[in-house]
Amino acid sequence: MTPPTSPAPTADIDIHRLTALADVMLPAAHGMPAVSEVKAVESYLPQVLGWRKDLHQPLVRAVDALDPSLFSIDRLSALHEEDEDAYVALTTAVAACYYLSPVVRELIGYPGQAAKTYDPFAYTEWVAEGLLDPVVDRGPIWREVPG
Amino acid sequence: MTYRADVLIIGAGASGGVAARHLAEHGFDVVCLEQGDWPDRSAFPGARPDWELAIRKDWAMSPNVRSRPEDYPVVHDDSDIEPLMYNAVGGSMIIYAGTWPRMLPSDFRVRTMDGVADDWPIAYRELVPYYNAIDQQIGVSGLAGDPAYPPHDDYPLPPLPLGAAGRRVAEGHNRLGWHWWPEPNAILSAPYDGRRPCVQRGVCTSGCAEGAKASTDLTHWPKATAAGARLITGARVSRITLGPTGLATGAVWLDRSGVEHHQEADVVILAANAIGTARLLLLSADDRHCPDGLANSSGFVGRRLMMHPFSVVTGWWDDQVEGWQGHFGASITSYQFYETDPDREFVRGAKWALSPVGGPLNHILPMRAGNEVWGRDHHELMGRTFGRGASWAIFGEDLPEEPNRVDLDPVRTDSHGIPAPRVSYRISDHSRRLMAFQEARAEESLRASGCRETAVASMIPYSGWHLMGTARMGNDSASSVVNSRQQAHDVPNLYIADASVFVTSSGVNPTCTITALALRTADLLVQHRSEQKVPA
Repeated sequence: MTPPTSPAPTADIDIHRLTALADVMLPAAHGMPAVSEVKAVESYLPQVLGWRKDLHQPLVRAVDALDPSLFSIDRLSALHEEDEDAYVALTTAVAACYYLSPVVRELIGYPGQAAKTYDPFAYTEWVAEGLLDPVVDRGPIWREVPG
Repeated sequence: MTYRADVLIIGAGASGGVAARHLAEHGFDVVCLEQGDWPDRSAFPGARPDWELAIRKDWAMSPNVRSRPEDYPVVHDDSDIEPLMYNAVGGSMIIYAGTWPRMLPSDFRVRTMDGVADDWPIAYRELVPYYNAIDQQIGVSGLAGDPAYPPHDDYPLPPLPLGAAGRRVAEGHNRLGWHWWPEPNAILSAPYDGRRPCVQRGVCTSGCAEGAKASTDLTHWPKATAAGARLITGARVSRITLGPTGLATGAVWLDRSGVEHHQEADVVILAANAIGTARLLLLSADDRHCPDGLANSSGFVGRRLMMHPFSVVTGWWDDQVEGWQGHFGASITSYQFYETDPDREFVRGAKWALSPVGGPLNHILPMRAGNEVWGRDHHELMGRTFGRGASWAIFGEDLPEEPNRVDLDPVRTDSHGIPAPRVSYRISDHSRRLMAFQEARAEESLRASGCRETAVASMIPYSGWHLMGTARMGNDSASSVVNSRQQAHDVPNLYIADASVFVTSSGVNPTCTITALALRTADLLVQHRSEQKVPA
């Protein structure tokens, strides 16, 4: 199947309100920026909802249900109890937007699932070095069976 | 005039692909019906930025979550483990990890050796030639000489890289005096048979866009169709048909538009996994010959479902090991606690496989071990763990129990209106003792390997990749569905090629053994073709 790649319209989602919620979930701390500092929601939410259309309506519910001025991690936990689909949509969308940011990826040292080349015969080095010798020296551990 | 094939295979996955290629290359006229389609590798999500979003919906391993037209729902309200599968040419090999262990000699003799369950009617040594042949067909990367196994032929390709984490845990096990070995994987470490090698992207379980991970759409179907086999996709079988003498005559199937067809054949081979095969046998009940389901005079169709309780133990080091990277698959394995030890409170054991831990979303919205943390502490957690971990994936031997079963749901259906399978499954107290022991040892392993922190995800529900045992093999037709050739006791021109026939589960990933058994079944069918009963 062909992946949906076109951005989704987000006119029914209050981006400022969602960003305020996201800043409580992922604030600036420990050398990492807040969601708003890297403009993660406005930059990536249409793409995230394009990829995951199933998140759209529950995310609308989450944003409508949560007051940014009263929002806290405890309130987020309460949402988990009240409306699990809304909770999953909110946490998934916020996290996906944040970790799509090139700034954030650079800070955590994540280049994506990159292709790498390697020497398939490099194993001969650790075999020659004796890494497996203790295993081999202990002898067989499988059980002989009748029949 | 209706066309009749020599052999009709239902399902184009691991066992169906292997059987089709062997039979077609030996002159049989083979038709295969597959409800899914050919996989489109350009659509595989692993190299895309939405990979971690895709694996939670469109590329979920659960057919219920994916909900594609070719999927059928699996009702599992009464199951401790959610069954997982993929419906396409290549079957669940599209989403398996690609680890390729053989079963061990003791796995076939658990009654004799350990006093539990039943022995298989075949022995490890009978499967060895087929294991060797399959390794060559698949292109397995590995290293011979593992003292956990009897000596056997070397693998066609060198082992995949250990990676930084694999190396550390190998050294840790050497300090503990515990077994480890590079895991054999059905993933190419070098070019082979026109396919490209693995690039260590770490996304094997959402489809290998490189084609390095073996699946029969790559390894068997092109050769099967070149030898004349015909593969019909989008073909959902609703029942197997019987003639007046009780022999199978073919199968009724529905195309994507819902139009019904009948494919006739001299021999029918079921290769639809242990849920799909049991479902079809039950759907094929016939008031005259088999009111309780086809090939079910024993009452064992659907019974003794095994799914391998599965735990993940993750450890984190102080420094980076690029824990999102590598084959998935496994770098190393351990059989230290595989065989029975009479000093433990359980018999049998488990196999461990060391795997990567995924990208950022898998860390913060963990599908396995780990915690979901928000607020300031989120960044502390990510800084402490991201890219610094590896996981022992632990499959415990799942002893068969008759209440663990597949039957037909009285209400829910697939998109064609065919009753959905319903799974009832409980993890036994024995399995819980076995897994608790293994989890504690795995934490010791990772601590000895230098990990500062460990976490256990115990017997996670979203783990039913290994579907086994619902049409068991045996010599006694009163207590088994098929004989040692995987031929139905009740219907001599009906064979079952998938893991439904497993008598016990072993503690290893089953696909290597599924394919070896399918090759053996097809080979014995070739050898005994002149004796085969067929409908008039």
